[in-house]
Amino acid sequence: MYYLLPFRVRWIFLLGAGYVFYGFIHPEFLILLLLSTCVDFFFALKISEGKSQAEKKWYLAASLFFNIGLLFVFKYLSLFLKDMDPMMANIYKAAHPEKGILLDAIYFSIPVGISFYTFQSLSYTFDVFYGRQKAETSLPKYATFVAYFPPLVAGPIERFHHLSSQIFTHHKPLYKNFAHGFRLMLLGFFMKMCIADNVGNYADQVFNSPTTFEASSVLMGIIMFGIQIYADFSGYSLIAQGASVLLGIHLVDNFRTPYLSGSIIEFWKRWHMSLSGWFRDYLYIPLGGNKVGIPRWTLNIMIVFLVSGFWHGPNYTFIIWGGIHGLVYLAEHFTKPFINLSGSRFWGVRFLGGVKTFAIVTFAWIFFRANDFKSAITMVQSGIKSIGTNALSVTSWVWGLIALFVLIDICLFNQRIDHVLEKKKWWVRWVVYGLLLGCILMFSGTVKHPFVYFQF
Amino acid sequence: MKETLRIAIRIIALAALVWVFNQIYTRFIWPTELAQEGPELQKLLRINDSCDVLYFGESSNVSYDPVNDTITTSISGLIAELVPNKVIGDITHQAYHGGIYLPLIERIKEYSKVKTIIVTLNLRTFDQACIHSELETALQKQALYYQNLPPLWIHLRAALNHYDNVSAYQRDYRMWKQWTYDTLIVPGIIFPFPTIKTWCEAAKFPLADGTEDMAKRTLADHYIKAYAFVMNENNPRIRDFDAIVNVCKAKGIQPVYNILAENTEYADSLVGTPLSQLIRYNRDFVINRYRKRGVMVIDNLEAVKGKDYTDQNWTTEHYNYTGRLIIAGNVAKALR
Repeated sequence: MYYLLPFRVRWIFLLGAGYVFYGFIHPEFLILLLLSTCVDFFFALKISEGKSQAEKKWYLAASLFFNIGLLFVFKYLSLFLKDMDPMMANIYKAAHPEKGILLDAIYFSIPVGISFYTFQSLSYTFDVFYGRQKAETSLPKYATFVAYFPPLVAGPIERFHHLSSQIFTHHKPLYKNFAHGFRLMLLGFFMKMCIADNVGNYADQVFNSPTTFEASSVLMGIIMFGIQIYADFSGYSLIAQGASVLLGIHLVDNFRTPYLSGSIIEFWKRWHMSLSGWFRDYLYIPLGGNKVGIPRWTLNIMIVFLVSGFWHGPNYTFIIWGGIHGLVYLAEHFTKPFINLSGSRFWGVRFLGGVKTFAIVTFAWIFFRANDFKSAITMVQSGIKSIGTNALSVTSWVWGLIALFVLIDICLFNQRIDHVLEKKKWWVRWVVYGLLLGCILMFSGTVKHPFVYFQF
Repeated sequence: MKETLRIAIRIIALAALVWVFNQIYTRFIWPTELAQEGPELQKLLRINDSCDVLYFGESSNVSYDPVNDTITTSISGLIAELVPNKVIGDITHQAYHGGIYLPLIERIKEYSKVKTIIVTLNLRTFDQACIHSELETALQKQALYYQNLPPLWIHLRAALNHYDNVSAYQRDYRMWKQWTYDTLIVPGIIFPFPTIKTWCEAAKFPLADGTEDMAKRTLADHYIKAYAFVMNENNPRIRDFDAIVNVCKAKGIQPVYNILAENTEYADSLVGTPLSQLIRYNRDFVINRYRKRGVMVIDNLEAVKGKDYTDQNWTTEHYNYTGRLIIAGNVAKALR
C-alpha cells in the first residue's frame, strides 16, 4: 500500500499509520504523543530563532522540563503514590471506572513507549540546541519522525537527521529490501516467539517463588531470564528494523551479540546501543565526558549508569542494576593496565573474560527482574544456598532451541543476519529460512509474555 | 517479469514448507500439546462414536464433599444409572460455560452416534462476574484449541495470543463498569437500588452497637453480584446458547438445556424477594427462548433444597448426593 501511493503523500500515510498503531489499544495516550510532539517542535523552533545562548538555554530547559515532567507524572509518580497506599489505589480505581483515564495511567498502565518517544523527541531538541540539526519548520513532518511506527514503542531510539532524511526520500520497492527485511523479521520472531517466550516460563517460575527451588535451579532461572530479556528485546528491535527496511527505511542497530562481550565496557558497546548512544551524546558528553579529571569522570560514569537504570522505571531495583554496571565498568577501566582479559592474545583468556562478563551481567539481572530489593536479596540467597527442594525441569526441545540460539549468536558475531545470509549460497539461505520458520511455527511458546521493554 | 517469477517461486516454496511443517507438527507434537492445552477435545473425539447421549457439565456435575457425601456418583453417572438403555458419556471441566461448550459441540462428528446432548445451563455464568472472570483468559485459550482448524494454525494463534486474552485488570474494569452503570429494570419487580454497585454499598444487617454483621453482609453482596442482572439477548452467554441450538440443528442432534438449581431460598432470606424474583425472571426468559427453538429445557432452578448445597456460605452449584440425584432424576425423566 505504501509503495502504491505517490511519493509526495507517503509520509502522510506513515504519520497516520503511526497514530493508528500507537492508539490502537489505548487511544487516550495519543494525547501524550501529540503533546510531546507539539511542545518539542515549538521549543526547537524557538531555540533556532533564539538571539542569545541564554535564551536558547531557557527553551532547552523548558523542553527538558516538559519531557522529564511527562515521564515523572506517567511513569515515576506511581512509585511514590503506590508506596503511600497501594491497596487503596487498586480498590479505588477498580471500583470507580467513571474516574478514568488519569488514575488509570498513573496506577496501572504506563503509556507504552513513553520513555522511547520522549527520548527520541528530546534528542532532536538537543541537536537543534547544539547546532547539529536545523529546526524542522513543518509540524506534520516533525510528527512523522516522532510517530514513525516501527521503533515507536520499544526503539531503537532514532535521531532526527538519520530518520527524516530517509522518510522523505523517494524509495522504490526493491527486492533487496524485501529480502533483507524478511530476514531480519524472521530472526526477530524466532528470538521472541521461540526463545524469549519459552525460557520466560522458567524464569517466571523461579522469580515468582525462589525459596521453593534448590540453588542450581535458581541459578538456571536467573540465566533463563538473561536469555529471555536479550531474545525479547533484540527480537523486537530486529522486527522493527525488518518492518522498516520493507519500507526502504533503515533503522540503527540496537544489539550486536552482547553476551559474547569480553568485558562490561564492551558489553555496553553492544547492548541497547541506541540508548547508550543517547546517554553518551546528551548526558555523558555535556557532563564533561572524559575531558575532565579522574574524580569527575568517575562521577560522570556513575551518573550515566544510575540515570540509565532509573530510565527503566519507577523502582529502586533498576537503580541498583545501573549501579552494579557502573561500578564494574569503573573497576574494569582502572584495572585495565594490570588485568585485561578481553584484550588478551590467548583465546582461553578472552573466553574467561566472556564468562566473567556473562556472570556479572546475569547477577545484575536479578535486580532488574525482581519486584523489589527484598525479593532480589531472597533470590541471591536462594541461589547461594538451597532453600527449597524443587528442581527446574526444562524440556529437551527447549534446550535444543537454546543451543540453536547460542549457535546463531556465535555465527553472527559482530554481524547482522541479513548481511551474512546475502553472501551465502541459495541453499544455505533456504536451510536457515526453513530452520527458523519451522521453529517459529512449531515450537513458539504459547504462554503470554508481553515484550519486556513495552513497560518502559 | 523475471522479478515476478522469482517472487512467485519463493512464495510457492514457503507454502510448501508450511505444509510440510503442518504435517510434522500434527503427527508428532500436536497430540501432546492438545492433551495439555485442550484436554476435553481428546476425550470427546474418543467417546464420539460410543455414546448415545453426551452430558456437558462443569463442577456441578461432580461431588465436592468427599467427607459427607456417601455416594459420590456424578450427575451424568446417575443419569446413566437411571436411563440404562442409553450410553451416556460426559465432558466435565471446572468453570466451563456455553462459550466453551460451543466449539466442543461443533467438533462432534457429523455421523456420530451421539443423538442427544445435555448442556448444563448455569444461570450464574450469565452474570458480569463470570463473564469478566479472570479465569476467562485461560478458558478462551482452551476454546481456541477446540476449534476445527489446522493444528499448526491453532498453535500459531495461541503463540501470538490471538484469542480473547485481555488482562485481569481490564476484565475487572469492565465488570465494575457494568456494576456501576447497568440499571436493573424489570416490569413487576421493584428493586431497592438501581444498580449492583449501589445495592452492594447499602448496609444490610445493622447490629445494636452500630456496626454490621459483616459475614452476612459479604454473603448477601455476593448473591447480588451473582444474580442481579437482567437477562436479555445481548448477553454473550445467550448468544453462545443460541449458537449451540444452530449447531445441533445442523448436526441433527437434540439439545437438552439443563438449568441448574440455585439456592434461591438463601438468596431470599439474605437479600429479599426482589433478587429471587429476578432469578425467576431470568429463568423464564431462558425457558421461553429455547423451548420456542425446539430445545428440551429442564427447569431445576428450585428443585434442590437449601440444605442440599455443599457450600452453605458461598454461591455455588455444588450439590450433595441428594441434590445431584434430584437433578439427574429430572433429566432422566425428560430423556425417557
